[in-house]
Amino acid sequence: MEKKEFGGKLIEVDEDGFIQDPDAWDENVARDLAKTEGVEEMTEDHWKVVNYLREYYLQYQMAPMIRKLCKTTGFKLKEIYDLFPSGPAKGACKVAGLPKPTGCV
Amino acid sequence: MSKRKEQSHRVKVVLQRLREKMNRQMAGSLVACVHCGMCTDSCHYVLANPDDPTYAPAYKADKIRKLFKRHLDWTGRVFPWWVKAEGIYSDEDLEELKDTVFGKCTNCRRCSLNCPMGVDMATFNRMARGLLVSVGIMPEGVAVVSKDQWEIGNQMGVLKEDYLETLEWMSEELRDELGDPQFTIPVDRTDCEIVYAINPREVKYDPRTIADAAKIFYLTGENWTMPSDCWDMTNFGLFSGDDELGGAVARRLYEKVIELRGKKLVMSECGHGYRSTRCEAPNWAQFDVPFEMESSVITMLRYISEGRIRVDKTRNTEPVTFHDSCNNARSCGMFEEPRELLKLVVTDFREMYPNRAENFCCTGGGGAMSMSEYTPRRLKSARIKAEQLRATGAKIVATSCHNCVDGLTDLIRHYELDMEVTQLVNLVANAVIVEKKVAVPAAGPPKPAPLAGKTILVADDEPDQVAWLSTLFADHGAKVVEACDGDQALELARTHKPDLLTLDLAMPGKSAGEVFELIRREPQLADLKVCVISGRPELRKTIYDRSVKPPEGYLDKPVTEERVLRSVRKVLELAHDDGK
Repeated sequence: MEKKEFGGKLIEVDEDGFIQDPDAWDENVARDLAKTEGVEEMTEDHWKVVNYLREYYLQYQMAPMIRKLCKTTGFKLKEIYDLFPSGPAKGACKVAGLPKPTGCV
Repeated sequence: MSKRKEQSHRVKVVLQRLREKMNRQMAGSLVACVHCGMCTDSCHYVLANPDDPTYAPAYKADKIRKLFKRHLDWTGRVFPWWVKAEGIYSDEDLEELKDTVFGKCTNCRRCSLNCPMGVDMATFNRMARGLLVSVGIMPEGVAVVSKDQWEIGNQMGVLKEDYLETLEWMSEELRDELGDPQFTIPVDRTDCEIVYAINPREVKYDPRTIADAAKIFYLTGENWTMPSDCWDMTNFGLFSGDDELGGAVARRLYEKVIELRGKKLVMSECGHGYRSTRCEAPNWAQFDVPFEMESSVITMLRYISEGRIRVDKTRNTEPVTFHDSCNNARSCGMFEEPRELLKLVVTDFREMYPNRAENFCCTGGGGAMSMSEYTPRRLKSARIKAEQLRATGAKIVATSCHNCVDGLTDLIRHYELDMEVTQLVNLVANAVIVEKKVAVPAAGPPKPAPLAGKTILVADDEPDQVAWLSTLFADHGAKVVEACDGDQALELARTHKPDLLTLDLAMPGKSAGEVFELIRREPQLADLKVCVISGRPELRKTIYDRSVKPPEGYLDKPVTEERVLRSVRKVLELAHDDGK
């Protein structure tokens, strides 16, 4: 698996650009990952989504349902898509340092 | 002679299973190839990698064919050097086979269609995947999803309470929009006309398609329900070649529909799920399915053509093209319905070339979206699809498959195309008119002579059908004129100036398509409305491919009195705001 530079360090990513080691993630890494997903600047709203995804993942080792994400962060579905144009599964999860979601996504 | 090589345990299991899985179609395909090379030009991998022969379907097939020749076919025992019979021995050999059958083919079947010998490459590619899966050799993504489908019952491991909570959430979102504070997505209702099953991705990541479908069902007044469990209509058995998994997954859904006593299973827009559940899994599960199964595309088209919902296509004005999913189109023959539906709900539809059965793969098929290790190959081969998309000039590509949605989204980004991907349900839900619900009574005592004052021309070559329709219309007050062939229909339309023509598509004389176009092009007949009533869906295109205003109504035979009357009244009584 190849390594790419994110947030000033070399990090292993899979062929779809998801980082492999959640511990390698930090906010600078997230900012650089965000750029690969069409998010030029991480606003407070972006962090709210990303931080929740990461916390949930570290606790349960899986991505949360979109329902849980919206309920906890208070964002509407449409707002999530406005924040992360490639959607919660590929966009937001990638920025939060989660592995690629499995299945038909 | 070199020493006889030892086979690893896994190889032995694979070869044993190869014998068990072999059937006549596969054996036929394995012996029929003459290496003519027709398949090479049909495969998007080859077209994007012209210098790499390992992508050629015939080359990939030979990897499986050599085993068949070596171990099953008599020719390989007599003259193995001539028929290129070769054995496999080690786990490394199996890994190499994995790289081919999972990583260099999406099982899209375009080469099968273009093979003059009828070799169905995808069928034995899938079988080879199944052999490897039986000894635990598969891409990790496939393993994870298969495990979730076996153990939790859906491919994304969604728990029941989360699923139900999401449905409730979508119900809340719809209450305002529909102006009905009582609205709720029905769950586990028994004896419904429709049981609606979905792809887990909808509930886990993007439930907008669930809300859109619910909105449409609500507006039609449909008696429908979603199941509380066993609601996953996808099937990784199709991708992994694991017939046992395929059968088990589909059986759960079949049994759920039976438990709910549903009359029809409608599946959301998912190509592989539709093909698996409707066409393949009754065989895998050895299950005699006692209810009808339908794609939601056909359901939505029926709702519009029966007048149960009205749509305003001017709400979707961006240029839209349509991508045929390999499973829906090439494998299940669903070609015309999505196009008819799109033309009803968008103003600017642009065909993609090649299309229908000849369309190129989205590159995400066969489970490829779950196999990250092959993503660079996938994106490289996607150049063919990207060129096809770019040539349409469309801003939106609509498709009826979740895999295609993701495959296309990925390649659109990679090749920097200015396009968005959407599903038909989103476009229909956007075009559907909520304020003015169509309220033609579906049942109950009809108003006295609702067709009074109308003249209806019935054109059909079956005397029984003419008599039945004429009686029905006359009983409801219409004046009826009868024609038994195309020429007569045209003549009577000119002389009697009817309000409505009911047109059968298979008649002697002038073809129904020609009659239809002549009528549309004749200024004196501009007000004549046309309702097609046909028992031959394959003839739809003879009407819809013409560059004239489409018919106001369309009914598939067999028809009931209620359906005919409702459609005819809808056509005659309601204004058509279809933008034309």
